[in-house]
Amino acid sequence: MPDTQALVMTFLTSLKNATARQTAELLRSVISQQRVPYTNQAGALIDAVKAVGEQLIAANPVELAVGNIVRRVLHIIREEDLSLTTAAIGELNLSAVSDDENDDDRDGNTTLSAAAVAAAARSTLRPPSLQTLLEDTPVSAAVPQTSSSGAADKSSRSRKLKHDVIEAVNELIQDIVTCHEQIAEQAVEHIHQNEVILTLGSSRTVSEFLFAAKEKKRSFRVFVAEGAPRYQGHLLAKELVARGLQTTLITDSAVFAMISRVNMVIVGAHAVMANGGVIAPVGMNLVALAAQKHAVPFVVLAGSHKLCPLYPHNPEVLLNELRSPSELLDFGEFSDCMDFGSGSGSPLLHVVNPAFDYVPPKLVSLFITDAGGHNPSYMYRLIADYYSADDLVVQRRAIAGN
Amino acid sequence: MSMSAYYQTRAAHHGVVTSDWLAQSQEAATRAVVTGGQEIVDGGKSGRAFSVIDEFNNWRKQPDLAEAVAAIRALAAVIRNSEAKTMMELEIELKKASDSLKSWDTTSISLTAGCDLFMRYVTRTSALEYEDFNSARSRLIERAEKFGEISYKARKIIAMLSQDFIFDGCTILVHGFSRVVMEVLKMAAQNKKLFRVLCTEGRPDRSGLRLANELAKLDVPVKLLIDSAVAYTMDEVDMVFVGADGVVESGGIINMMGTYQIALVAHSMNKPVYVAAESYKFARLYPLDQKDMGPALRPIDFGVPIPSKVEVETSARDYTPPQYLTLLFTDLGVLTPSVVSDELIQLYL
Repeated sequence: MPDTQALVMTFLTSLKNATARQTAELLRSVISQQRVPYTNQAGALIDAVKAVGEQLIAANPVELAVGNIVRRVLHIIREEDLSLTTAAIGELNLSAVSDDENDDDRDGNTTLSAAAVAAAARSTLRPPSLQTLLEDTPVSAAVPQTSSSGAADKSSRSRKLKHDVIEAVNELIQDIVTCHEQIAEQAVEHIHQNEVILTLGSSRTVSEFLFAAKEKKRSFRVFVAEGAPRYQGHLLAKELVARGLQTTLITDSAVFAMISRVNMVIVGAHAVMANGGVIAPVGMNLVALAAQKHAVPFVVLAGSHKLCPLYPHNPEVLLNELRSPSELLDFGEFSDCMDFGSGSGSPLLHVVNPAFDYVPPKLVSLFITDAGGHNPSYMYRLIADYYSADDLVVQRRAIAGN
Repeated sequence: MSMSAYYQTRAAHHGVVTSDWLAQSQEAATRAVVTGGQEIVDGGKSGRAFSVIDEFNNWRKQPDLAEAVAAIRALAAVIRNSEAKTMMELEIELKKASDSLKSWDTTSISLTAGCDLFMRYVTRTSALEYEDFNSARSRLIERAEKFGEISYKARKIIAMLSQDFIFDGCTILVHGFSRVVMEVLKMAAQNKKLFRVLCTEGRPDRSGLRLANELAKLDVPVKLLIDSAVAYTMDEVDMVFVGADGVVESGGIINMMGTYQIALVAHSMNKPVYVAAESYKFARLYPLDQKDMGPALRPIDFGVPIPSKVEVETSARDYTPPQYLTLLFTDLGVLTPSVVSDELIQLYL
């Protein structure tokens, strides 16, 4: 445990550049170093991951990808535990049936209850639905029937759980690393010959997407809005030109003037919320509104690790971070306006530099993720696949709602 | 003039009634029960004193009980009183009882939805290999009784889910009296949130007055509006919270008359409209316009005599299409309107 704590501390200090991949790798080391007891191994793992996850999320709440990965790992632990349990019960069934015929009734009851328990346990992992509304809430410790099996069985099961979970987390890391390629593969379906694409700022997913279309011999033009105040659009323009794409650089304020010449807007995202809304670099809402006004499709590229199960209650306030005003103004020239010392003690000039914008779902035409292209109203489905309802609030003691 | 028993009951529970309307409604109620009882005696087994409709009416009288719960309890009573020896027989009896309930009050959507949900559950349960008919039967009865708890828990879950959306200093507009919305606001008040409620009167039942009373008891600042003042006050509103009598397949809702109007005004001013509805209210209906549903009429007392030549629009409910709704808070989670049809498909197909 002390080892993981040190790892967590170094990670937290470097959280400014935290990526989803690093979070997943950190959690993998947490899991592999965690000692698990014989009973309820999944619970111990979940507690350990939640403990670390709480710290990670609290350190930088705006970096939603960190929270997403924590929840994905928790979901993985629950799934692996469940599949092991159902497999164990399935083996039990076989052994019970193949045993002697003396205790027929008892065997019959065991098989029925075991099947029912497995079915019920399976239903808890799925999000609640109308189908299961009337059913029993199953017993949480669904494993008591394993009393007959030996101790050797149990220890092999515990090792198997950790092993399975770590394998699944490795797959997750692999997915995160390759998400750009998987999204880029879909480029050819969306970018056609002689089209004009508009983008804002610079996003690695978008550049890979455009390069992939160029590889497939599509000829198209790109308008790049520079993305003040960081001007990352300049870097993107250079990269595109290096690849042989015809590029036009414009200011953010010129987007509305140029949008009528554009066929499609393709942008990246910082995070995708559960209602289909997008947290994107500042200025994106303007582009989305301009695109809607001129009926230009607004396509958002996002890896599935950016999909967040939370709803944006107050997105302008809670999910934004304010960056340093030095990106806007040079302090030397404006020092007299921003001086706290002189006059009444409070400067008349405030400089605010929000990093993100919220784009509501009705402005987005399509999401392209590594799992394919989807409607904004379909995103809840992916959330149900990747996350468990119990993990939405990552706290050690779950809130008892009943 | 035919009257909707469902809206009549709601008015009796939550409305402020005048004496001659009360007399009218009581007369109509006795008429309906008599015809319903006769149906059961003629169509069902002879010599049975038990009537599922009477049972349902008994349960329905309790103001805190949801319609669907009353329906499922009535069906549980059918199982208890049935003399069937096989699952098939029991299912047929239940189907008959459920059909008679549904036809007795065609205007109540939660009643229909509750009956359908329970029938679906029975069919699925009987498909499992239970060796013993009696254990299956007792299990069905037990689950039906538990449904009341489920419904109560559902309201609590919905209240919990909505808490994040109520921020300090917000102004909430509510329409009429909805038990689920009341639970949401009660929990927010208990969590010491500072918010203000604008409450419409909700003519002709004037159920908004009842809501205002309850909120005043909780020390929540509440302001009453007449129904026509909604657009006037909409710019100071942060969000609209309504309940639902039924949630239809498109993701729209059927609710007390006036909800559509409020949703339209809110949409035009970019205010979010949140619907709090339990999941058993999801119904397999797809109205295309306001007149597409069966009429649910409720007489209006204007206080002065109206000449007989003058027609009065007496419909008690309207349909709000999904594009005017922002989010649905249900016990299945916070959903966008497009999720509703998905859930229904999973259940029924």
